[in-house]
Amino acid sequence: MERVEISAKSEEEAVDIALAELGMSRSEVEVVVLKKGRGGLFGLGSEEVRVRVTPLELLSDEDVDVGGMAKGVLENLLDLTGITASVTLGMEGGEDQAVITLDIEGEDLGILIGRRGETLSSLQYLVNLIISRHLKSRVGVVVDVEGYRQRRYESLRLLARRMADQVRSTGRSVTLESMPASERRIIHIELRDSPYVITQSIGQGEGRKIAILSRDNEGQPL
Amino acid sequence: MKELIEYIAKSIVDKPEEVVVIEVPAEDGVILKLQVAPEDTGKVIGKEGRIAKAMRTLLRVSAIRKGTRATLEIISDSSENDL
Repeated sequence: MERVEISAKSEEEAVDIALAELGMSRSEVEVVVLKKGRGGLFGLGSEEVRVRVTPLELLSDEDVDVGGMAKGVLENLLDLTGITASVTLGMEGGEDQAVITLDIEGEDLGILIGRRGETLSSLQYLVNLIISRHLKSRVGVVVDVEGYRQRRYESLRLLARRMADQVRSTGRSVTLESMPASERRIIHIELRDSPYVITQSIGQGEGRKIAILSRDNEGQPL
Repeated sequence: MKELIEYIAKSIVDKPEEVVVIEVPAEDGVILKLQVAPEDTGKVIGKEGRIAKAMRTLLRVSAIRKGTRATLEIISDSSENDL
């Protein structure tokens, strides 16, 4: 099996021909438009569309533009949801484990964050799900709205330090409100090196929350 | 709204050609009925209904933008029961 290049009147037609030739379905290939067509008058001066269709199993990781693909998926979702916004693609972290981040900017985006970030979480979940199904491997794309996550994480770190101080001075443990895994992780990491408290996740599913407890010298809860 | 659900469903099932979304008028908005190939039902519901929930969340935003209400029903082909 190998990649094929096909020219036809429309992108759709070219892809259909390529898929028939490969005997594969749309979800098993990557399509790259090599030349955009041009519709001429009565077929005069028109140019055909040329596409390159590659079976996914032939793609190595470097060949797949995961960021571009994720940006496209998010733009489609926003457009279909009736939200006018622009998406900026960025990378965070070192080269070894760079995280793809998509930041949404536009007007009136409070609706996109939703109650306790619920809408934003759904968007991120669906983008990752669609990309993972397409690539047949897991991806971890972060979707943010105008730096909302960044600000939320910063306020969680502040909360963690304040609560840890309180536990230390009163000697009584504190339980925070329930949070998604990504937010609990921020708090665990923030207090990981504290000599006075330890953190534990308690509860199940969506009710899972963090408890901050005093610790002894061995790092065991008191 | 119909296009939103269609797009998501077609992007995550094994048989996108069998995805059908029907829009039915309801008292205060619309009901979207999503039907997929029987073996794809789990793919649009997800573990503990997580995928269905994410679709409903985006659908609600879409409906608010249009000043209406929309509910999503996933039709299970084999039993005809709504999930």
